[in-house]
Amino acid sequence: MSTNEPGKQDEALGRLLQEWRANAPLPAQFRQAVWRRVDQAPAPAAPSVWTVITHWVGTALPRPALAASYLAILLTLGVTAGWTRARQETARVKGELGERYLRVLDPYAVPRP
Amino acid sequence: MRFPAHSSMKKGVLLLLLGLAVAAAAYGCVYFVCTSSARRLERSSKPELAWLKEEFNLSDSEFQRISELHAAYLPQCAEMCRQVEAQNQRVRALLAATNQMTAEIQSAIAESARLRGLCQRNMLDHFYQVSRTMPPAQGRRYLEWVQERTFLPSQGMMSEP
Repeated sequence: MSTNEPGKQDEALGRLLQEWRANAPLPAQFRQAVWRRVDQAPAPAAPSVWTVITHWVGTALPRPALAASYLAILLTLGVTAGWTRARQETARVKGELGERYLRVLDPYAVPRP
Repeated sequence: MRFPAHSSMKKGVLLLLLGLAVAAAAYGCVYFVCTSSARRLERSSKPELAWLKEEFNLSDSEFQRISELHAAYLPQCAEMCRQVEAQNQRVRALLAATNQMTAEIQSAIAESARLRGLCQRNMLDHFYQVSRTMPPAQGRRYLEWVQERTFLPSQGMMSEP
């Protein structure tokens, strides 16, 4: 079996790293210097909303399942909004025509100046 | 947060726009289809009668008969409108000429009431004829509908002139 296989390479590298010892002495105050740099490092800024949205659009949205869900939701929203608005418009037109029918027949319903 | 690759970002933006286009198209199509009956009514030569036909599920023969009744009633209605308007002008002139009750005002009030009664009688007679032309259930529904809007207080003929 060849050691060029990925699993074998990882094992070999792991053994090599375990055998490796650094004998060079650390500089004076090394530990304190590390902690001082950690303390002084600026805290990572919270991502802005725009960044989050952009990240979501670029990474999450193109996933097939999410893309299909997104399209299905917008399709449903469009159908629902169209149906609701059409119902309102139809009711308005029919209500107006009904009133118009009565205005034609009722002399006292005719608007007078 | 790692920034997405350019191609992935482009795909995401396209999907975003496609979603909005799908929503807009769905809205437009559904609205257009669902308002077709209202548009058809508005486009007809007599929209109020076309509405009556649809609202009370009239057959073509019933609709034909009701259209004839309607056409026959309109001249009576126009004549009543003319008389009502003339009487209103007379009452206005009498009221403007004095600050006390006179015999002429009393007579004009009585005439206004007589005209109102005559209008009511003619209109109700027409409504009954129309309702008898409809199938019984629709006729009852029609009578309830017109009476509620014309004979009940504060509606049409029953409202203050």
